[in-house]
Amino acid sequence: MKARNLLYSQKVAPYVFVLPFILSFAVFWIYPLITAFTMSFQDIGAIKSEWVGFDNYTKLLKDKVFMVAVANSAKYMFLTLVLLIPFPLLFAVLIDSNIVKAKGVWKAVMYMPALTSVVISGTLFRLMFSEYKTGQMNIIAEALGLGTYKWLKNGWSGMIALLILACWRWTGVNMLYFLAGLKSIDTSLYEAADIDGASPVQKFFHVTLPMIKPTTIYVLTISVYAGLAMFLESYMLWAGNSSPNNIGLTIVGYLYKRGIEKNNMGYACAVGVVLLIVALVINFAQLFLNGTFKKED
Amino acid sequence: MENQKERKSKSLARTPKRLVFSALGTGFFVLLSILIAFPVVAGLLASFRPGTELIRKGLSIKIDPKTMTLSNYLYLFGKNEDSDKYFMWYKNSLIITVLSVVLTLFICYFVAYGLTMYDFKCKNLLFTIVIATMMVPFEILMLPMYKEIIKLGLIDTYAGVLIPGLCNASTIFFFRQYLSGLPKELLSAARIDGANEYYIAVKIILPLTKPAFASMGILTAMGSWNAILWPLLVLKDARKFTLPIGLNTLLTPYGNNYDVLIAGSMFGILPIFVIFLIFQKYIIDGMTAGAVKG
Amino acid sequence: MKRKLVSTVLSVVMAAGLLSGCGSAADNGTGNEAAETSETASGTEAEESAEAEEEPPVSTFGAEDGTHLEMWTFVELHGQHYKDMAEVWNEQNPDRPIQITCTTYPYADMHTKLLTSLEAGTGAPDICDVEVGQFPNVVAGLDQWLVPLDDYAADYMPTMVPARMQTYQGEDGHYYGAPYHVGATAMYYNVTAMAETMGISKEDVIAKIDAVKTWEDYEALGKEYLAAKNEEGKYWTSVDTGGTDWLWLAMAEYGDDWTGGFENPANCKLDSVKNMLTMQQKWLKDGVAQISPDGHVDLEAGFQNIMDHNIVSFPKALWYMSRFTNYMPEEAGNWYIAKCPVFEEGQKCSVGIGGTGTVVTQQSENKELAAEFLCWAKMSDEGEQHIWDKLGFDVCNTAMWDKEDFAHDDSNQFNAYFINYPYDVLNDIGMDNIGKISVVAISPTINEYVCTTTLNEVLEDPDYSVDDALQELQDAVDMEQ
Repeated sequence: MKARNLLYSQKVAPYVFVLPFILSFAVFWIYPLITAFTMSFQDIGAIKSEWVGFDNYTKLLKDKVFMVAVANSAKYMFLTLVLLIPFPLLFAVLIDSNIVKAKGVWKAVMYMPALTSVVISGTLFRLMFSEYKTGQMNIIAEALGLGTYKWLKNGWSGMIALLILACWRWTGVNMLYFLAGLKSIDTSLYEAADIDGASPVQKFFHVTLPMIKPTTIYVLTISVYAGLAMFLESYMLWAGNSSPNNIGLTIVGYLYKRGIEKNNMGYACAVGVVLLIVALVINFAQLFLNGTFKKED
Repeated sequence: MENQKERKSKSLARTPKRLVFSALGTGFFVLLSILIAFPVVAGLLASFRPGTELIRKGLSIKIDPKTMTLSNYLYLFGKNEDSDKYFMWYKNSLIITVLSVVLTLFICYFVAYGLTMYDFKCKNLLFTIVIATMMVPFEILMLPMYKEIIKLGLIDTYAGVLIPGLCNASTIFFFRQYLSGLPKELLSAARIDGANEYYIAVKIILPLTKPAFASMGILTAMGSWNAILWPLLVLKDARKFTLPIGLNTLLTPYGNNYDVLIAGSMFGILPIFVIFLIFQKYIIDGMTAGAVKG
Repeated sequence: MKRKLVSTVLSVVMAAGLLSGCGSAADNGTGNEAAETSETASGTEAEESAEAEEEPPVSTFGAEDGTHLEMWTFVELHGQHYKDMAEVWNEQNPDRPIQITCTTYPYADMHTKLLTSLEAGTGAPDICDVEVGQFPNVVAGLDQWLVPLDDYAADYMPTMVPARMQTYQGEDGHYYGAPYHVGATAMYYNVTAMAETMGISKEDVIAKIDAVKTWEDYEALGKEYLAAKNEEGKYWTSVDTGGTDWLWLAMAEYGDDWTGGFENPANCKLDSVKNMLTMQQKWLKDGVAQISPDGHVDLEAGFQNIMDHNIVSFPKALWYMSRFTNYMPEEAGNWYIAKCPVFEEGQKCSVGIGGTGTVVTQQSENKELAAEFLCWAKMSDEGEQHIWDKLGFDVCNTAMWDKEDFAHDDSNQFNAYFINYPYDVLNDIGMDNIGKISVVAISPTINEYVCTTTLNEVLEDPDYSVDDALQELQDAVDMEQ
């Protein structure tokens, strides 16, 4: 009886709730993480491995191709933050308001791309951005009298193609987060604002935006990592991990190239650890500034 | 309750200004949807053409009855080896997806609940770990995790595919963010009424998080339906393969089987789309006015 | 509300049931090999019982009481090959029958899975297909990971194309992979389009093509064709920014190898490569060649380009024949295959491109049987006949090349599609004139840098200095070795 009471007490309950995470973390994360970390200091060969200290890291920092990958990933991350947070939020607010009709249809359409298999949407986008005259982008360019263009062979147009693909795939998903977030806002706050005679724009900035902050922080955090760790979109557009002049190479793409494709797991782990550190630093800085770690009142 | 009704009737008032806004807003989404739907529609149309047509002409949304054919789908649903395999993969993916959605949602909800609703030692440390696990590229964990799954005897089982992903950090994080927006007064009020901690979590707070459950349900389903790398490492028996593994075998360095690939991928959208339609209804039920006072 | 709760509970219970079900099945599999074998055996056609209808299709073939071999591939058709070969094997060797379970995985992931299980020391199959680009990673484990095939292939070796066997050699000199095909590079010409444009008969066109010996002859014929064509957007050939096939051809002709093999460091500043790139720059400037749309001819845009007759000739391995039959059926009867031109007469004129080496792993419990079966299925007369008929590859065992009913069988789809017989071209080239591609640890680095950077620099800007581009390549490669 006593044990039962203890289990039900406010002191013990939180530990019961978080127990699955602690277990899963202990079993599935600690060992692989430590292994990966130690592997990053080794030269993993097929037959024997040897300890090489910081060699993998020093080699990495001297590697020009890695720097290209980091620059691409950083640029991509920044631009996706700019495109994939404000617009989905705006769309979610519009859809949630009463002015848009047939909301269900638009939500469904915007969510469709995320459902389409990567294999097929990769092929579709590759055909759209093909440098051949049957590609949609070139049909448009020719109609405008610009002639055909090699979209996937130049840095800027390659990045645009990547961003279009990213927006196409993820706008609906991010909108979904915000739609759910909007529902956590107490409607009485809007009523109070109505009584004060606030305009819709004022309500957006003074009620919606502050109240949806936890969701925005969530989207920001996952977007930072997703942007830095992007690989699939690039793989889809260039039908593999090689793009002309590495315009589509990303950090994880580099991890694949040097680590997995060449089976150099020590080096791959070093790349992974660098990515982990960069993503952690950016996100913890961002979360501290946003006050996510503060105790709630 | 009355307040709410009043608000609703007020917002539905059809002033001319509102009508203009409504037309503009709706028109905007029509345009946006057309742009977004284009590749999907083009893919759908391509699934009604022979694979060679895609290679010959690229994407096209022209509907030309002469080149359109049901043959890809007839083949997919026909009595042949490819079709049997396709539906075997389909069924496996469905099982894994349903299991992973149900288990992930409940586990992550409770973990997030514990992290948000209480103050306890190492709470911030745990939350830090949650965030940190989101940032580790899976590729470097792959090899050690694979060895672990072998040791646990979970190789070639759906349990091995599912269990490492059940405590999904980003799902926990989303629930945490959602829960942190809810007023804490709800808990103290319920405690005063004599409810125990688990009753509060299940009966009082959980119903308020339906939108979060719905959106995370959609996301988890999507992730699980499309997952390929980990299932492929764990599974060995071709009879247990999932749809993405199966469809990817149609792409080879020796040429791609577009006929089955496109029709199969397009038909593969269906279950997730149904899940989306079911869940998205619950995103509409949110907090009601005055829950704080409750 | 209540109904919803019931359904949730039901699904959780169902989930738990399924999980435990899977768990116990796994125990059978890992704990008891024999149990697993008999379990899968029940799925074969031979034992079709009432429950067989429920049983999903399994790729398990051969005798149910035979020794069980597990095999992985990334091309389903390859699995079919072993299925048919296992049946023939069992007829010929009733005293030691085999049973094969063949699993098809997606291309890249199969290699990841193989390497992961070789490294983990458990979970690898008996036999596995390995794509040539991935071969260095797998062969790095030498006889700790793989079974040397030397003894099992010995009977066939005298007539096997040497270049192909050497591609799958390990650092220790042993042969670790059995090839499917030569992938001999040849020149494809659209005779019909040329005849129409130039206003001469197809026979005359073929005579002109046969007279081409050197790249100069080739260019001259191209200019003759283009002068007659006189239309914008039409070219003689296309050069690749996303593939190294042209460069390998050049290296084979001069007997060069930029990887340096196992002994020497890689050296990319080769005259052969320089000559080829310089020639291609000239073609681009003269309007003889265009850059292959999307990088090389083996992609959707490449097929479109060929079908639109924007180019009428190009060099490619003989396995490209299947692209014609699969994606360009309306081009049947138009194309002619010929030897590739050379820089200087007397040089080799072909190189084996691409390919898949099949290996036997040391984790196999029946190494000898697996290796013997593998070599037989890939090198014997029966095996080669089947590879040509079903997979459409140019076979490596040259003993087959001049067999009339093999090489000149008109019911074969490639023999029917092309103007001439592919094996006549191969015989004309000769097995010793096919250069070898080396794949060693540095290969992916070279390949990657050439395809992402060097070719784009040199071909997208035909005035770019080839020497500079090759120096940059060498610098990038030196970083890695």
